[in-house]
Amino acid sequence: MIAREMFEEFKARFGPLIQRADVPSDRRLFVFVDRSVMKFVCQHIFRELDARYVTSIGSDDRPYSGTFLVSHNFAFDKDHVLCSVLTQLPENDLTIDSITSMVPAASWAEREMRDLLGIEPLGHRYLKRLVLPDGWPEGNHPLRKDVRWDAVPESYDPEREFKFDEPPEGCMVVPFGPFHPTLDEPAHFRLYVEGEMVRGCEYRGFMVHRGIEKLAESVMSYNDIPMLAERICGICGCVHNVAYVQAVEDAAVLKVPPRAEYIRTIMLELERLHSHLLWTGLACHIVGFDTLFMQSFRIREPIMWIAEKISGNRKTYALCLIGGVRRDITHELKLELRAVLDTLEAEWRDVVSAVGNDRNIQRRTRDVGVADKVAVKSSGLVGPVARAAGVDIDCRRDHPYAAYDRVEFDVVTAQTADVWGRVVVRMNEVFQSIRIIRQCLDKMEDGPLQLEIKDELPIGRMGLSSVEAPRGESHHFVITGENNRPRRWRVRAPTYQNLQGVPAMIKDQQIADMTISLGSIDPCFSCTDRLETIDLRSGKTRVWSQQELLQLTKMKA
Amino acid sequence: MDRNLTWMILGGALNVGLVLLVAPLGQGVLRKVTARVQSRQGPPLQQPYFDLLKLLGKEDIESGETPAMQRFSVYLSLGTILTVACLVPMGFGAPMNSAGDVILLIYLLTLCGVCTLLAGLAAGSTYSLVGISREMMSMIALEPLFAIALIVGALHAGSFRLDAVLNGSVYSAGGIPWSGLLMLGVMLLSFQAFVQRVPFDISEAETELMEGPLMEYSGPKLALFKYAQMAKLVIYSGLFVALFVPWGSDLVFPLGWLLFWAKVGVLVLLVTLVAATHARYRIDQAIRFFAALFAVALVALMLASYGF
Repeated sequence: MIAREMFEEFKARFGPLIQRADVPSDRRLFVFVDRSVMKFVCQHIFRELDARYVTSIGSDDRPYSGTFLVSHNFAFDKDHVLCSVLTQLPENDLTIDSITSMVPAASWAEREMRDLLGIEPLGHRYLKRLVLPDGWPEGNHPLRKDVRWDAVPESYDPEREFKFDEPPEGCMVVPFGPFHPTLDEPAHFRLYVEGEMVRGCEYRGFMVHRGIEKLAESVMSYNDIPMLAERICGICGCVHNVAYVQAVEDAAVLKVPPRAEYIRTIMLELERLHSHLLWTGLACHIVGFDTLFMQSFRIREPIMWIAEKISGNRKTYALCLIGGVRRDITHELKLELRAVLDTLEAEWRDVVSAVGNDRNIQRRTRDVGVADKVAVKSSGLVGPVARAAGVDIDCRRDHPYAAYDRVEFDVVTAQTADVWGRVVVRMNEVFQSIRIIRQCLDKMEDGPLQLEIKDELPIGRMGLSSVEAPRGESHHFVITGENNRPRRWRVRAPTYQNLQGVPAMIKDQQIADMTISLGSIDPCFSCTDRLETIDLRSGKTRVWSQQELLQLTKMKA
Repeated sequence: MDRNLTWMILGGALNVGLVLLVAPLGQGVLRKVTARVQSRQGPPLQQPYFDLLKLLGKEDIESGETPAMQRFSVYLSLGTILTVACLVPMGFGAPMNSAGDVILLIYLLTLCGVCTLLAGLAAGSTYSLVGISREMMSMIALEPLFAIALIVGALHAGSFRLDAVLNGSVYSAGGIPWSGLLMLGVMLLSFQAFVQRVPFDISEAETELMEGPLMEYSGPKLALFKYAQMAKLVIYSGLFVALFVPWGSDLVFPLGWLLFWAKVGVLVLLVTLVAATHARYRIDQAIRFFAALFAVALVALMLASYGF
C-alpha cells in the first residue's frame, strides 16, 4: 500500500472523522483526525495494519492555529511508509485518550507530553513525571511557546528529591546509578532484589536535560541546528545530524545532490563501524573480558583517524547542512579509507572468531536479557535488539534515505532474542557496513556537494525522517516555520524506546546479568535525555561547588 | 634466649619481609603482562609500590557504618596473610615449623576469607552486602579444596607437621599416587579463585558490584587491603609450589631458593594469562564449577585415605 491508498482506507473506515490528509509522497502520510477517533485510528493502524509504533509528539501550535497538536507516528516497514496521525486540541481542553492500553510503547512519549506541554493523556496508568525534575512547579510547561527558552520559574526547588515507588514486599533495594562504572552516563535504576534475583525496577533518568529542542525552536536557525543535533549524542552524532537535515529536506521537498548522498552514507556507516566496535569492547568489559575490550578499541582507532582526516574530527563530523554536505571525500582519502577497511575486515574476523569460540562469553549472554517478538512489538524496540529477536526491520532498507537505495546489503537477524543474539547481529553488521562503504566508494559520482537554495523554505510543512543509528531507528519530526527556523523539532532516539523494554528484560534474572542486559541495548542516555530547558541557576550552583571543591583540594596540597 | 626461638623469629621476619617486598612486584608483573596481551604499554613494574605509597598518604576517610570494625578487619586481613607467610617455606624450610601445624594453616587461610566478609559487613553498603553474600557462597565451596589438598598431603606424609606436608607430600615417597594428581588438577583449576582474579573475581566485579566489599574503603585502609591481596597472590603461589611442585627445593642454598621464586614467578604469569583471556563467571556458574571440583577432591581424599 502506498500512502494515498492508506488514506483512502482510513476514510472508508472512519468516515468524516478523518478530517484531511497531507500526502507529500508515496512514502509519507500526515492524516488529521478528530480527537474522539484518534485512539481508534491508532488501534486500527497498530493492530489490524500491524504497523510499528514510532513515537508521539506534542506541539504548541497556538501562535499559528490557536490549538495544540498531538501526533502519533507509525512506521509501515513493509510498505515503506512513515505515517503521522495528528489531531488538534483546543487550548481550554488539553486532554487526549491515552493509547498506552494497546501500545505500551507510547508510555514515555505521553508522559513527556504531559510534563512539557501539559497535555493530559486520559487513561494512562502511570503518570509520574518523566522529564521534569520534581521540584519543578505544577502547571509550568517549558515547551510551550509562551515560555522563554531560558526561563526558570520562581518556585522551582532544585533541592527537592525524587519520590520513589514503594518496593515490593521482601525485596531489598539495590540502587543502580545514577553513577555506576558501567553506565558512564547518569541514569538511575532502583532494582528490587530478592537474594541475587531482580524482581523489578524503577527508572529515573532525564538528569542531564539540555533543552536542545527548545533551544532549536527559539533561538537557532535551520543551518545552526545540524551542529546542535549532532551534539545530542557522543557516539551517533552524525545520525542525528543527518536525520534532522533529512526531516527538513523532506518537509521542504529538496533534492540533495547524489554525491552528497553517498558521502552521508559513508559517514553514517563509518559511525556505525566505530560504534559497534566500541560496543563489542564494552560488552566484553562488562563480562570481565578486558583483553577483547582493549583489542576492539585498538582495531577501532584507525576508523577514528580516517574520520578525522575526512571531517577534521574523530567524532562530531559537522557533516550536513540543509541540502548537502560540507566535506568532500577526495581521491586520496578514498584510497586511504579502502586500506583502513581492508585491515579492519581482517582484524574483525579474528575478533568475531575469538568471541564465537569463547564459552564463557556465551555462558554469560545466552538466555540473558530476553526480549522476544511480542516485547519488540509492544515496547516498540528497535535496532539490533529487535533484529536479534528475529524482527526483520532496518530503516536503511525499509525507509531508504541518502544512497541506501543504490547499495546492496543484508539485514542481519538472529533468532535467540537474548544478549548473545545482539552480539551476533552487531558483529555481523560490521561486515555489512564495510560492504556498503566499498560500494559507495565505487559508485560515487562527481558533482556538487550542496544544493543551491535560493528561496525561503516553505512554512508550516511537516517532515519525517528515520535514520538507522547503530542502536536502532532514530526518528526526527520537523514542522517548518518562520524566522528561518523550525516551529517544532522532535527527536526520538532509539534508546528512548529500547530503555522502556529493559525492565522486562532484567526481571527475574540475577543482578550479575543486569549490566550486560542493559548494556546489550547499547544505551545512550544523552540521546534519551536530550530535552528540557537548560537550568541556568542550578547549573551555576554546580559550577560553584566544583570550584569550591577544587580550591579545597588545592588548600590541602 | 633459646637459639631455636631466635631462628624462628628471624626466619619469620625474613619471610614476612620478603613477601612485603615481592608482592607489589608480582602485581607489577601481572599488570605489565596483562597490558602486553591487550596491546597496551602498561605501567612500569614498580607502579604498584607507588600506588600503595600514594594510597597510604591519603586522608583516612570513615565512610562505612562501623569505622572501628572496618579498621580492625583491614589490620586483621593483612595480619593473617602475613602470619601465613611465617608458616610457608619460601626457599628454606617453614620458619615457624614447630609453632604450628597444617591444621593451623587451614584455619588461617579460612580467616583470610572471613576478613573480607568482616570488611564488607562493617562497610554495610548495599553493594558490599551483595559482594559478601557472593564471597560467602564461594568461600563455602572453595575453602574445603585447599584444606583437602593439605590433608591429602598429610595423609601421604603420615604427619601434620608443616615441613613434612609442605614438601610435595601429595606425591608420596613411593611414586606418584592418583590422589595427588587429582588434587593437582583441582588446585590448578581453582587457583584463580583463591587469588581472586578473573574469571573468579565475582565478589568484587567492578562492572557489576563496584568492588563489592571494598567499595567503602579508600586511602590507607584500601592500601592495606590491596597489599593483602597482592601478598595473597605470592603466598598462595608459594603454598602451591611447596605442595605440588617440590622438585629441586633441596638444592644448595642460592640454587634452591632461586628455583623456588622462579616457580612462583611462573605461577604468577600463568594466573595473569588466564585472567587476561577469560570472561568473568556468574556466581551460580562459579559455584557449580566449584561443586564439581569439590566432588573430585572428595574422591581424592578417599583414595588418599586408602593409600592410593
